Amino acid sequence: MKKKFTKTDLVIGTLLTLFAIAILYPFYNSILVSLVPQDVYVKTPFMLFPKKITLSAYQFVFSSKSIMNGFLVTLFVTVAGVIYNMFLTVTTAYALTKDIPGKKLIMHLIIFTVYFGGGLIPYYLLIKNIGLMNNLWVMVLPIGFWPMYMIIVKTFFEELPVELEESAKIDGANDLVILFKIILPLSLPVLATFALYYGVERWNEWWHGMLFIQTASKQPLQLVLRNIVQSAGEMTQNLPAGQEKKVFADGVKMASIIVTMFPVMCLFPFLQRYFVEGLTIGAVKS
Amino acid sequence: MNALPKLKTDDLKANTSTLLKKIIKYKYFYLMLLPGLLYLFIFKYIPMYGIQLAFKKFMFNKGITGSPWVGLENFRYIFSEAEFWNAVKNTVIIAFMKIGLGFWISVVLAILISELRAPRFKKKLQVVYTFPHFLSWVIVSGIVINLLSNSGAINNLLSILGFERISPLTDKGIFRYLLVYSEVWKEAGWGTILYLAAITGIDPTLYEAATIDGASRWDKIKYITWPSIKGLVVVMLLLSIGQMMNAGFMQIFNMYNPTVYDVADIIDTYVYRITFERAPDFGVSTAVGMFKGVTNLILLLTADKVAKKMGHSGII
Repeated sequence: MKKKFTKTDLVIGTLLTLFAIAILYPFYNSILVSLVPQDVYVKTPFMLFPKKITLSAYQFVFSSKSIMNGFLVTLFVTVAGVIYNMFLTVTTAYALTKDIPGKKLIMHLIIFTVYFGGGLIPYYLLIKNIGLMNNLWVMVLPIGFWPMYMIIVKTFFEELPVELEESAKIDGANDLVILFKIILPLSLPVLATFALYYGVERWNEWWHGMLFIQTASKQPLQLVLRNIVQSAGEMTQNLPAGQEKKVFADGVKMASIIVTMFPVMCLFPFLQRYFVEGLTIGAVKS
Repeated sequence: MNALPKLKTDDLKANTSTLLKKIIKYKYFYLMLLPGLLYLFIFKYIPMYGIQLAFKKFMFNKGITGSPWVGLENFRYIFSEAEFWNAVKNTVIIAFMKIGLGFWISVVLAILISELRAPRFKKKLQVVYTFPHFLSWVIVSGIVINLLSNSGAINNLLSILGFERISPLTDKGIFRYLLVYSEVWKEAGWGTILYLAAITGIDPTLYEAATIDGASRWDKIKYITWPSIKGLVVVMLLLSIGQMMNAGFMQIFNMYNPTVYDVADIIDTYVYRITFERAPDFGVSTAVGMFKGVTNLILLLTADKVAKKMGHSGII
């Protein structure tokens, strides 16, 4: 039954389109600011189409040592972090699918940490005491696994057919072989989803960096970006004398933002489905 | 009669040995649990041990255990600080504004999306709506600050239209609304996902039957869509009340500035500033953190009880 396209449809479509424009416009404006020279920006009060385009802000960003350094740090944090997260999530989840003595207590201990914590100062002192201060691993190790994700993965494991495991056991496979050869390959989609979640979180890391990293060359990309965005007109200070006038601070800020979110922006349209699925599986399961 | 106690000890012995057997049988799984538990112990439970600092005068050379006890001195101090109460007040106000204004936008948005009858366009819209959720507040605040700056696009537009320029970032009257607006911008779309999943799960024959009975679109939303997501909305609402004391640290920390501390300083930003931007007293800072943690826990447990009373499965 094909319904007629009514006035209500038009209103709904318009409202939703307006909301999409409200989301997209700030991005568009940021891209514009990153692309125009300062004089054009100042002279054109409200701009939808740029009259003149320059890539000098991007040149500045890509020749900036701190941004490139931050990129490498973040790359390390993301790769090491996701591997570490997935390792802990999978091992904990798989062990808890078994009917092991003490399982209930362990689950309670895990869930309790979601609702209560020591707070900033004890955490800070801990990091200091275990020697993670100013160490790249401080952006990796303290975030092990999210209990919610672990529980969803655990539920997924539990719902795989038991017969698979039993027949493998009869064939003489031990528990590790079963995990790696049977359970993990079957769970690939759900694991990929959570690897994505963890990955985005690591890519966005700046908080641990700000608290615990003092050396500039060890700062993650988002923290470098934060320093650039929050600085007021100090963009020229760490440049050789001759170049000072060329830098358009707002342009550089926006170019840094675009560069930082570029990977997420490029991948997101293709991966959006998986992100959404991750959330809905979780809701159905819990 | 005599056999009874004997039987019991036998039982006990049998139980212990089966328990042992079980533990041995599952030894590899315990080994597998080890890394995860070690992580929790170090990074979650050791800091909880540090909470005792709330009742101590922290001295760097003596550490957490060695510092002297001061009873409730730290709490007495923070409760007498006007700045602390201001932070508590702001936390509650900002959280309620976000729940009162922002929360419902996701619900309305979800219903509107479900009513849109252009599947491919719908998918594209959803990609746009959910994207900002995956950006950090560093990025979002950078975009917002640029957009709203004195020479930014919004002000230029206002000035072309003949209005006065505004400065939401330093205006005490509107800064909180800016927080709500930017939160909606970033999270409203992502917030629709669960509602949309619930709406998709509604039996389509309900709508068909309603159409045959002559129900209008609004009737169908009111009597079919809304009742079927109401439970979820209540749970989500309770969940956000349970997390009220957080109020959005990452957002505010990246957007606020000294001119708006009065209206935007929340508990978390207050703790950060008294710890890292002044002569720190770790005992006092821990006390503030503990105040927040305990309040949060109480709110969550209450919200959970309410959810269960209302016949939902609870949120914990």
